[in-house]
Amino acid sequence: MGNIIDSKNAISTTMALIAIIIIAAIAGGVGYYGGNLSGYSAGYEAGSRGAYQQGFQAGLQQGNSSGYSKGYQAALEKAKPILPDVIKIGQIQSLSGGLGPFGTKIAKGAQLAVDEVNARGGIRGRRIQLITEDDATDPTRALEVAKKLVEVDGVQVIIGTTGSAQLRAIAPYLIEKKVLIISPSVSGPFLSTDYPNSYVMRTCASDVLQGAVMGDLVLQRGYKRVAYLIMDNAYGRGICAEVKKKVGEGVVTIFFDEKKLNYKTELEQVKAANPDVVVHVGYPEDATVMFKQALEAGLEKVQWISAEGVYGTAMFPPEGDPAAAEFMSIAVIGTAPTTPGGILYEEFARRYTEAFGMEPMVYCDTCYDATMLAIQAIAYCGEYNGTKIRDAVLTIARNYIGPSGHKIFQPNGVDMMYSYYIIWDVEEVSPGKYEFKEIGRWP
Amino acid sequence: MVNLAQVLFESLVSGSLYLLASVGLSITYGLSKFPNFAHAEFITFGAYIAYFFLVQIKAPAFISFALAFLVSGILGALSYVLLFAPLSKRGSSTIQLMIASIGLGLILRHTCMEIWGGGILSFKIFFPIYRWPPISTSLIWLLIVLDAAITAVILHLFLKKSRLGKAMRATSDNPNLAMASGINVELITVLGWFLSGALAGLGGAFLAAGTALVPLLGWKVLLSAFAVTILGGTGSFYGSIIASYIIGAAENLGIVGLVALNLSADYRTAISFIILIVLLIFRPQGLFKQAGRGD
Repeated sequence: MGNIIDSKNAISTTMALIAIIIIAAIAGGVGYYGGNLSGYSAGYEAGSRGAYQQGFQAGLQQGNSSGYSKGYQAALEKAKPILPDVIKIGQIQSLSGGLGPFGTKIAKGAQLAVDEVNARGGIRGRRIQLITEDDATDPTRALEVAKKLVEVDGVQVIIGTTGSAQLRAIAPYLIEKKVLIISPSVSGPFLSTDYPNSYVMRTCASDVLQGAVMGDLVLQRGYKRVAYLIMDNAYGRGICAEVKKKVGEGVVTIFFDEKKLNYKTELEQVKAANPDVVVHVGYPEDATVMFKQALEAGLEKVQWISAEGVYGTAMFPPEGDPAAAEFMSIAVIGTAPTTPGGILYEEFARRYTEAFGMEPMVYCDTCYDATMLAIQAIAYCGEYNGTKIRDAVLTIARNYIGPSGHKIFQPNGVDMMYSYYIIWDVEEVSPGKYEFKEIGRWP
Repeated sequence: MVNLAQVLFESLVSGSLYLLASVGLSITYGLSKFPNFAHAEFITFGAYIAYFFLVQIKAPAFISFALAFLVSGILGALSYVLLFAPLSKRGSSTIQLMIASIGLGLILRHTCMEIWGGGILSFKIFFPIYRWPPISTSLIWLLIVLDAAITAVILHLFLKKSRLGKAMRATSDNPNLAMASGINVELITVLGWFLSGALAGLGGAFLAAGTALVPLLGWKVLLSAFAVTILGGTGSFYGSIIASYIIGAAENLGIVGLVALNLSADYRTAISFIILIVLLIFRPQGLFKQAGRGD
């Protein structure tokens, strides 16, 4: 009697096991899936019913209360202005770099305005916080700090910048974000031509005028051979273009690199052109080297007319270089924007000196006025919103007379209606001690 | 129309400045076989040291400049002992040493900026101005010319006549043979680095006194100094002397040409590099061959 199951026909144990496993898996999968499906739809049903009920109840409640509170808020809005508890005013000035000596003093003008208003209770009882950032006289850095002020600190109005290049770099961004910026010192003509009736304003005069003043000076004194020695940036080129409109192309035009700090070649070119006047635009740092080397080159025999970039006591010892100061006292006169003067400015100068232990310089007063305009505009419109503040500034400015004069704006919404300039000279009042002297006014 | 005498004098001044800056570069290149980019910061550092003593401590000018020379020299020697020697003992390649020198330069520059601020500083010395028509110049530039001349003479005597100098030439030429001859190659190299730093620092101090002190002072000179070093033949002391004045003259005379063509004078460094490229195409070893064989 043999095995009924022939080993050849039998399924091996392994095969059997495998088959069992596969069948089990399939069964499990079907069960799972099926279970899911049915479970899903059952759950769905139960859920919807429950959710529906709950939603209905909740909606009933919400509707009542939200309607009530919305109405309440709307009424409040009509009745009282919405200002944050702390009102932030941003400031971007050049506290270091080429314009550092100017920016640090100008920034204090804004500080004075904020401190004075806070001492009197702030805006509608709310404290003002002045957030000052340093752009290091660098357009890239200016954009970085502008973004920080707008996006991190949430400011809607900024006072600044010190220099034209920096403002040019951040203007498109601020306009896009609808944040108002008022500059106390940017004089580049591009502001009026590129951004009229926008979010960019200034409380100082445009170089369109300073160029005209320098040009008038050249014509008045009868100089025929004009050399232009201009720093190669927006500020310098702006002024140069305006002077040329009055005076003409001159015998030589040189745009120098403010970072180079060694100008013997440029000065040789000026000498070679044999001018009787040099129209010069520079900042204190490059001008120190320029004047020093001009003295070496024998160019103090020619009259120099400088723009207000060098109008600062930082050019004189003990902060500045004695050779540069000597050169200025021999050969340089210049122009600078000024105030109509009078008691308002004298009072401001007294308060500034008292607060900071130093006398104000050019643009400190316009910075004070720019900040005051912003503060008064916020108080007037009662809202912390760039567009509303901008509109309010235009209104307030019509009746605002500050240390830098009557701040009423031109129709382009950028420039001041009234601007004043002085003609300055440098005098050595005692050996090693230099001072600026006013020798004329314009208009 | 162009004041040729003034231009030639300016060439003399530029050449002297490049001499002070590039002789050191040439020495270290010859001894350690890599271009030291921190040399720019040796130049700047010397200026800051001089500023510190002259303006902040109010020491006499002579002492301040002498100290600038010494302290920069120590900086040069320390750079070698603490950084480049250990690296090259571990088998660093030329590129690696070069990059290390760039890093060293960055550290030095930013340390100076931390201490003295990143702004421009003035030495506030009123150097007397001399007018010998048609040339006008100031004392500081005359001092640079004088200093370069004295340096050249002293170095010549040192390298030719003294034992130490001959040892240095030998080391630069063939370090293994020098070592086999019993020369203390390590000491010679440290001395070379000291000299390199010292001369650079002194040159930087003078340059800053004549213009103004900024953190990038050394870089303004370094590019042209490299041109000089390569032109003169790296490692060749005499080569760099002659090359300094060639480049100085080329830049200043070239400016005249640039102006005549109505181009910006800022292209002056480009002139030296054009000359360099042209020369390297036709004479790659520079004007003179390696130190020791170039005299």
